[in-house]
Amino acid sequence: MEKIIACISTPLGKGAISIVRMSGENCLEVAKKVFFSKSLDYENIKPRYMYLGDFSFDENLKEKCMMVYFKAPNSYTGEDLIEFQIHGGIIVTQKVYEKLLDCGASPAEPGEISKRAFLNGKLSLDSAEAIVDEINAESESELKASLILASGKLFEQVTSMQTNLTELLADIEVTLDYPEHDIEETVKEKIYNKIKEIKFELDKHIENSKQARFIKNGINVAIIGRANVGKSSLLNALLGEERAIVTDIEGTTRDNINEHFFYNGIKINLTDTAGIRESKDIVENLGIERSKKAIENSDMVIFVVDASEQLSNEDLEIKKLLENKIFITVINKSDKERKVEKLENEISISALENKNIDYLKEVIFSSIIKNQINFNEIILTNERQLNELKTCYNTVLELENAREFSLDVISMLLKQLWNNLGKITGNTENENIIDLIFSKFCLGK
Amino acid sequence: MENFDAIVIGAGHAGCEAGLALARTGQKTLLLTLSLDAVAFLACNPSIGGTAKGQLVSEIDALGGEMGVNADKTLIQLRMLNRGKGPAVQSLRAQVDKEDYHIQMKKTIENTPNLYLRQGESVEIILDGEYKIVKTAVGLSYRAKALVFATGVYLKSRIIIGEYSNDVGPNGFMNSKRLSDSLKNLGIKLLRFKTGTPARIHSRSIDYSKLEIQEGDENLASFSFLTKNRPENKTFCHLTYTNKKTHDIINANLDRAPALSGEITGIGPRYCPSIETKIVRFKDKDRHQLFLEPEALSTEEVYIQGFSTSMPADVQEEMIHSVSGLENAEVMRDSYAIEYDCIEPTQLLPTLELKSIKGLFFAGQINGTSGYEEAAAQGIVAGINASLYLQGKEQLILKRSDAYIGVLIDDIVTKGTNEPYRMMTSRAEYRLLLRQDNADIRLTEIGRKVGLVTDERYNLYLEKLDLMSKFEEALKTKMKVNEIQDFFEKNGESVPRESITVKDMLKRSNIDAFKIQDEFGIFNDFPYDIIEKMNISVKYEGYLKQQQEDIEKAKKNEEILIPEDFDYNSIKGLRIEAIQKLSEIRPISLGQASRISGVSPADIGVLSIYVKRFK
Repeated sequence: MEKIIACISTPLGKGAISIVRMSGENCLEVAKKVFFSKSLDYENIKPRYMYLGDFSFDENLKEKCMMVYFKAPNSYTGEDLIEFQIHGGIIVTQKVYEKLLDCGASPAEPGEISKRAFLNGKLSLDSAEAIVDEINAESESELKASLILASGKLFEQVTSMQTNLTELLADIEVTLDYPEHDIEETVKEKIYNKIKEIKFELDKHIENSKQARFIKNGINVAIIGRANVGKSSLLNALLGEERAIVTDIEGTTRDNINEHFFYNGIKINLTDTAGIRESKDIVENLGIERSKKAIENSDMVIFVVDASEQLSNEDLEIKKLLENKIFITVINKSDKERKVEKLENEISISALENKNIDYLKEVIFSSIIKNQINFNEIILTNERQLNELKTCYNTVLELENAREFSLDVISMLLKQLWNNLGKITGNTENENIIDLIFSKFCLGK
Repeated sequence: MENFDAIVIGAGHAGCEAGLALARTGQKTLLLTLSLDAVAFLACNPSIGGTAKGQLVSEIDALGGEMGVNADKTLIQLRMLNRGKGPAVQSLRAQVDKEDYHIQMKKTIENTPNLYLRQGESVEIILDGEYKIVKTAVGLSYRAKALVFATGVYLKSRIIIGEYSNDVGPNGFMNSKRLSDSLKNLGIKLLRFKTGTPARIHSRSIDYSKLEIQEGDENLASFSFLTKNRPENKTFCHLTYTNKKTHDIINANLDRAPALSGEITGIGPRYCPSIETKIVRFKDKDRHQLFLEPEALSTEEVYIQGFSTSMPADVQEEMIHSVSGLENAEVMRDSYAIEYDCIEPTQLLPTLELKSIKGLFFAGQINGTSGYEEAAAQGIVAGINASLYLQGKEQLILKRSDAYIGVLIDDIVTKGTNEPYRMMTSRAEYRLLLRQDNADIRLTEIGRKVGLVTDERYNLYLEKLDLMSKFEEALKTKMKVNEIQDFFEKNGESVPRESITVKDMLKRSNIDAFKIQDEFGIFNDFPYDIIEKMNISVKYEGYLKQQQEDIEKAKKNEEILIPEDFDYNSIKGLRIEAIQKLSEIRPISLGQASRISGVSPADIGVLSIYVKRFK
């Protein structure tokens, strides 16, 4: 059985709709975990029928999306194939793609979708050469990326992780293959110290790679708060210009306003939302829905409250939406007498008097970008590499669970880890370990 | 001219297995050897098995081969290596009686119908349509459709002891001077490799009081699944070390060491370098261990493992006398290095048949491998395939996931080797599945299909399968909390709240099948080896499954076959390096292609499209 593959089929960042495709027998099983629609009963799903529903990232985070199911052999690849059409930008598209990988799909190899189509007789023989070109072009661009990567730090560090692991494996393997030689046994403590180091490194890289996306696409910040706490003033202060309409009338901002500014070279995308509260006004109610959605799609939230008033029930309701989100509480109107109590992650500012705005920018930036970053290094980490890093990380977790097992099992998992690291560095020849055994240890008959 | 179905040249460990496999599957087979006194001769250490090699012996046995049976008959000490390091890497290692090993194997061969053992030097191979004619030095000719080369290290061999060298085979046996030229004339590419063997000393001259003793393990199962009794230990090995004085002697005489002076040009193995190489390469090691192994019960000769050298004889004596316990050692045979011709193994199919000439098979050290077990493993495969070839049946290819034998053959025919190839457990990616204890489960059916597994062996296997499924049933037994409370507490495990199956009990890290057996007697109906085996399969269930899944993933490419006459040059999009490598190796499947160094995943992607198109 062919494994299920997924890929983003439309050019990133171009066009209003993106398509993420998934192909392979049983890919419906993956869809079942992520796509839900009232009109869709998976047992009786209609092929070639477009379903509108929610693509669910987790319990709280959903995105409206369309799904079409093509049943084998009547699909582009000739296998079961599913297309998700997403209205949205790069981040949502990537998230959809990643979620599919999390749920069991594998990233498609270069040209793999077309290759499958060809192998299943969906494309004519004439197209074989075109596909070969596609494979080579995509491999080349990956190769280029990894070549540039090769001069970068990530490559260096993954290589060094792999080298460390090669040494460790040689130490273990030599005692397994040459038990009669007087070679010191590798104790588990040494093995697990190494694993701990590798885990730390991997964790750092995965974090960094996630940040790479922020560097490419910017940080999405939603500004929320009840009406008239000064959200629009804050937006203007951050942008340094008058953009949103600022009045004293509650609920002036009814449409979400999207703006951006740059800080430390990073694009900060701001979404100013309508105040959140139940309203009889239909127009405003739509605004509230939008606010909730803006929170879902944001990387972090600025929760604005009025310094001169105590927290209202409404404030508390809004605060509830912040669960599991990175957020800053902005106490606006610090020019007035403070009545509001001390709040979590708070920063006092005055949007009107432009007080503490630069500090706020710094906090927005640093609450997402945590490590010192080397732009060149990180921007090149592609999705496939990130995915490999995550696989490596999972193997490390497995290794931690295998501690009580014998060396043959631990060694098997270490080799798995070594191989997975090799997929990033391109070094997967296991002869290296054997070479090292012979160069490092004195073995003879 | 006498006619046979098959001819096997060489009656070493590869030749014996090949000859037996052919004869036992009904082929009239000539087993032609330089000397009848060297049938199954253990030219180096008097030992069978060891890590990865023990697995090979059990696999040969499960297929219906002879090595395991013969080792069981003649072993004088048995040990289990790597106890406590996990079931995957546990291997049997036996000291065998070298004289008896040869005698017993020769006897088996002599008493096998269809098998004709004959002394004679093969000098030339002539192709006559589908027939191969073997000419011998005394002017006789033999003809057969299938031919197995198992000539070991005898092709143009030369032994070297210091400044002395002589064109002879191991141990001074006659070598083969003309056969490798005949191979060259058939268009076969040759390599020149090197190996060596240490000195033998007289037992009475060893001061055993200064040495550490090494005893055998008690109550071990044997190599062969047919052997019922537990082997008995009849001898000891001893351990001593080189010292500073030994190293000084070697360093002072390095200019007389042919291995280092350039006198020897053959490529030696990295895993068993001569003692002088070890001392030069590992300067900071102040001692190297030496094992003293008795050669046979009927002789006083003792083998010094770890002391292989090609130093001049006078230096050798000095070196030996510097070692504790060997101060007065009487040397009986000198240590020597040996150079020999072998073939570039990438010229072979994974069936061990030569790609360029049908019906010509190669096995053993002639393929660039090292070791008795490696040789025998190839011997049985070559024998089986020669037989299947004669019967017009599909050839046997053991996969990397089937057996160490599969790993061994795939490695040498796909990657080639630039030194004598030794089997190691680290070479097997599915090591957890390729264990000694389950070799019969993995391979008996295959051996049965090709006609080598006797009814006796097959019935034993069926009985074992039956016991295993009964054991599975026993594992489902539910135990009540009050029954097991004491047992769990005694073993430091938290007591479960509800009743628990025996299988789940087994999964606890402080509990194993033997403890359960002792406490509850649940497995009373099962023999020790079944309990042990099932214990492993429950404890390692998750990891075994993981390897099984890896095999499934890899399987697809293994099943996509590449036509024999596939023209790699016609493919646009393959890189030149890949075209060269692929044209040279001519892999049989996409899987094999992917293991060739220098062939990238993108090349495989491109190739898969054209292979499909070619169909």
